[in-house]
Amino acid sequence: MSRIEGHLGIQAIADIEKKVYVEAHSFGTMFRGLEIILKNREPADAIWITQRTCGVCPTPHGLAAAMAVDMAYEALAPPMGVLLRNLLYGAEQLYDAAFGCFVLEGPDYSQMVVEKRNPNWWQAAKKEKAPHADLHGYDSIADIMTGLNPFSGSLWVRSLGVEKLGRKMASLLGGKHPHVNTLIPGGMAKTLSPTDLEQYAAMLSHHVAFAKEFVPIMNDLLDFVLSMGYEDAGLRKTNLISYGAYDDPYAYTAKYEDLADQGLKRKLLPGIVVNGELVTQDLVEINVGVREFIDRSYYSDWAVSLVDEDPKGNPIDGKHPWNKDTKPAPAAYKDWCSKYSWGSSPRWVDWKKRGDGSAHALEAGPISRMWVTAKAKNVPESTGSSLKYTLPKATVTGYKVADETEFEWKIPEKINTVERVRARVHYYAYSAYVVFGQLLQALDLVKQGRAKVWNKYKKPRDGMGVGMIEAMRGALAHWVVMKRGHIQNYQIMTPTTWNAGPRLSDTDLGPYEDAIVGTPITEAGDITGVDVVRVIRSFDPCLACCIQVYEGDRKILHVPMV
Amino acid sequence: MSKLEKIHVVWLPGQACTGCTVSFLNATHPSVLDLLTGFIPQAAGVTLDYHATIMLPCGGEGLGAVKAAEKGELGPFVLVLEGAIPDEAIAKKSGGYWCVIGENEDGKPVTFNERLDRLARNAVAIVAAGTCASFGGIPSGRPNPTGAKGALDYFGRNWKSALGIPIVNVPGCPTMGEHLAETLAHVVLSVRGYLPLPDLDKEHRPKWLFGHTAHENCPRAGLFGDGKNSHEFGEPYCMGLLGCKGPISHCDIPKRGYVDGVGGCPSVGSPCIGCTQPGFPDRPYSPFLQKAPASFFVMEKIHSIPGSLEAVWGRIKETLVGRDI
Repeated sequence: MSRIEGHLGIQAIADIEKKVYVEAHSFGTMFRGLEIILKNREPADAIWITQRTCGVCPTPHGLAAAMAVDMAYEALAPPMGVLLRNLLYGAEQLYDAAFGCFVLEGPDYSQMVVEKRNPNWWQAAKKEKAPHADLHGYDSIADIMTGLNPFSGSLWVRSLGVEKLGRKMASLLGGKHPHVNTLIPGGMAKTLSPTDLEQYAAMLSHHVAFAKEFVPIMNDLLDFVLSMGYEDAGLRKTNLISYGAYDDPYAYTAKYEDLADQGLKRKLLPGIVVNGELVTQDLVEINVGVREFIDRSYYSDWAVSLVDEDPKGNPIDGKHPWNKDTKPAPAAYKDWCSKYSWGSSPRWVDWKKRGDGSAHALEAGPISRMWVTAKAKNVPESTGSSLKYTLPKATVTGYKVADETEFEWKIPEKINTVERVRARVHYYAYSAYVVFGQLLQALDLVKQGRAKVWNKYKKPRDGMGVGMIEAMRGALAHWVVMKRGHIQNYQIMTPTTWNAGPRLSDTDLGPYEDAIVGTPITEAGDITGVDVVRVIRSFDPCLACCIQVYEGDRKILHVPMV
Repeated sequence: MSKLEKIHVVWLPGQACTGCTVSFLNATHPSVLDLLTGFIPQAAGVTLDYHATIMLPCGGEGLGAVKAAEKGELGPFVLVLEGAIPDEAIAKKSGGYWCVIGENEDGKPVTFNERLDRLARNAVAIVAAGTCASFGGIPSGRPNPTGAKGALDYFGRNWKSALGIPIVNVPGCPTMGEHLAETLAHVVLSVRGYLPLPDLDKEHRPKWLFGHTAHENCPRAGLFGDGKNSHEFGEPYCMGLLGCKGPISHCDIPKRGYVDGVGGCPSVGSPCIGCTQPGFPDRPYSPFLQKAPASFFVMEKIHSIPGSLEAVWGRIKETLVGRDI
């Protein structure tokens, strides 16, 4: 599989008669052992090393590590330090959302793929006028699809520049990107000058202008795809997890005791959703409920528990990441009855028994954080059923719409392939909106003379910490246990761990596996797996992937990622 | 020369994070599209035939280009490696694998290492993108659980392609976009005989990119010379006392920036962590906030004495005997 980050395999079984996928296994095919490498190192070094988990979305790793280490070190970043971290984070979100929609997922809906695999869509697309052509200039849906062709389409090529601008903003504040260099315990290693914020603002204006075309383009395309009968593709129950992001500079204390309050004051909200119900928004409760199972993964079990309770006295389970010990045990390839993946199977246990009190395989991603933020009404943009926000005026050469523009992202009835992509599109625009607000706050701090970016700290001998944030692909958390000034245990749970994890039983599938089952086959001619690919890419996997499709008669077709 | 009219690029990811790929897209002058569209006639005809993250093999190609290259049927190709190379013998002991890329026709998994061995035999050149591919990088950090190493150790320092080209390393965690784009262009021109082979240092890094240390290339080095050190993060002076490894790391990023001239680690106020070096991320590069060994600063001060004396003497001489140019 191509156009995703890393090494991922999917094997799906299709019922050719009924034209539907009935079975799927998702497996990670690469191991590096970062958690083992981190042992006995200086905890602060995790800020740099863990970013190398993923070169597509490094900054949230750096930030999760910085927050976990801040907590362990009792190092508090000053308000400007927190805001600069937010601006650095936001810059990456602006690059990464566009990268996902255009370079990684967009080509699935390009002329080159659609004309070949879904000729009936292509015929319809040529006739279908784009409803918002006045805002973006693409007359028909087919024009948009042609624009998405890799290396040649106008949207694809243009997106490269927009994405690079996000990474340039991140380099401005981070020294470089991928793998930013300025995150440190207690704030930022950044010499801030007036030039920085002005350059940042100038680059942000391009994103604001781009968002005003990007959202209507993708809405037109995605509405069309839905109208072609794609509602059940990638359909999954509304079981979601979000940790939230964009800390309030005054609510961030780096203390576990304040974590719940810190979470509720974020611009993107934390929350657990089970069967469409928002179960909790308490980051402490969310943290305590996390479990990591390795029943179907290439690891050995661990016995020792390092942590019995969290700093608030809540019980910490032996399967909680604070207690997990990473013990690799490479084993046979694709042994579906036993262990078959380098990924593990995270679950969230409803330990306070707010619902049925059981363990849930939750889905992470832009759709999860947008859903929770829209539902929870913790921010003024949230209506309880949608997120309403207004992008500021931005006059930028080459863009059609300069005026203030209001957008509304509505919580969709179903969580499916199309809605995952749509949430990512709106997340891009909402990010530009949030980042603009963060920038104004930073300017205000400068005016108050509070431009200090870092606080000195005195590192204690022992400590523990957790850092919870939203990576582009969803909920990301790091856990650290520090003994005698060094890392005793470090654990990383990425959003793709949540989404791509193998099943625990045949009735408890990982989200990818679950979403593929029931997905209709829409392609004409030989089955190449394009529908499976679209389902998986709607999650925006952070692994590289090779897909095979079993037909009913068990004949294997090697299906390269299209 | 005619058979080199078209040069393919096969980009193979091992124990990688895809950061080098994303960074490659940062390249501005030249950009990835510049490379593939070939503005300079001698550098035209380069195609990216396999790249798992950004390609669209339309019509069921997938690993097709890789398999063709393995069999020697693709035509002349440059192999770009991203990520470290694990020791599969360790994983095999328990019947498993560290890194698999696709399967053989019989459904058996093919490790990254097997593909690498097959491809290396036919490649006109191997370019290691990033520190993992060059020296092992992050996955090889102690205790190196997967036995990860870079191309130089895996193939041996004396390895040469059929055209006599040694492994070319473009380290950096990740590799800097233009470093890689410039090097690839140079290798293409070398393969075609338009340029001599890139001048490499003993770690096989192009000298024009890695010939000087980050400290020598740092805009704050003048402040260091003037005795001005930052004591808190955020200050605009030399980062040496806050852990900067610039004096022991070869890199020009402080000077040229990172994306389109913007950024540069110590230039913006963060310590260099030595990410272009063999041995990264272990000592002496980590702990990252720990000061680099003092000996380097002492040596620098000693080395600066003749130059400082020359600067003073040149001025005295001008006053005494007039200008000499």
